[in-house]
Amino acid sequence: MLRRVIVAVSLVALAAQPAWAEIGRIKQSIGAAAVERGKARLPAAPGLQVQEGDVLVTGKNGRISLTFIDNTRFSAGPNSRIAVSEFKFDRATQRGSFVTQVNRGSLAIVSGQIAHSGRDAMKVRTPTSLLGVRGTRFVVKVP
Amino acid sequence: MPRGGRFILAATGLVGGCAGPSLLLLPGEQGDQGAVAVLESGGKPQETVVSDVNSRTKLGRANPRTRVIGAARVKTSERALVARLPPPPVSFILYFEEGAARITSESRPQLDAIRAEVARRPGVDVQLTGHADTLGSSEDNDALSQARALEVLNILAGEGIDRSVMTALGRGEGQLRVETADGVRDAANRRVEVVVR
Repeated sequence: MLRRVIVAVSLVALAAQPAWAEIGRIKQSIGAAAVERGKARLPAAPGLQVQEGDVLVTGKNGRISLTFIDNTRFSAGPNSRIAVSEFKFDRATQRGSFVTQVNRGSLAIVSGQIAHSGRDAMKVRTPTSLLGVRGTRFVVKVP
Repeated sequence: MPRGGRFILAATGLVGGCAGPSLLLLPGEQGDQGAVAVLESGGKPQETVVSDVNSRTKLGRANPRTRVIGAARVKTSERALVARLPPPPVSFILYFEEGAARITSESRPQLDAIRAEVARRPGVDVQLTGHADTLGSSEDNDALSQARALEVLNILAGEGIDRSVMTALGRGEGQLRVETADGVRDAANRRVEVVVR
């Protein structure tokens, strides 16, 4: 009986959780730094929730740091345009797929659970190449 | 040099020596090696695995070449970029009384450590994943693991952590910390894992 009450209570409370559309959060930003979402341009303030399809945009003195829900971490440098084109992640099984497009600028990455979940489950695209991430820390530059 | 000349130099990428697209592979934070595979470059599908740390690979040609440069020759701008990576997420484990969503007294001090970690991270988010041991039915354990995660969420919210930065999830008996047969009580499996990012 007690168990049944717990079931009812917990299902209601879990439904009240924030939407699962969140794939990461901005942790820090400096200078001209925005997140483009469709036609909207949001200031990249700490705590801003990032969604699949968002584009990180920085100006001459701009920088953005963020952490994704699979523990992947990004640091984007000045004059960058970086699209998170695909981010699928199952929090329960910790598997997924992740495609980032570095159109311009510089990006430091520490890979997380998605990269561990399967060979080349995490990919980074530049205008002239495609990379499969097999682990840990690197920098991609597109001048 | 006339202005126009400087512009052409910059535009053709002759300034700075390595102005084309590139990959810099660094050692992992634990000193681990890691690797990145070039799957496509200059229109040519391939699988060129880069695994030398502190190496630079020029991208965009059909045959990407990797050069080991050594840690000393990583550029200042690249160091600045890496220095601004967010800190690694930190994990905590809270253990629970048997069959209940009640934190053990031994685990309670962990709540203070979690609060302190949350306070020092700008833009923080917290993930709470509840688990159960294999005693009882798997349906009951799904519910129990959710109730445990919610118990922690509610305690932390009561201590002033904004609910909008927390997500709770129950994994039932699907992710045991200690492998056991079904129907086994095991204190190490009755837990909530907390990740502070």
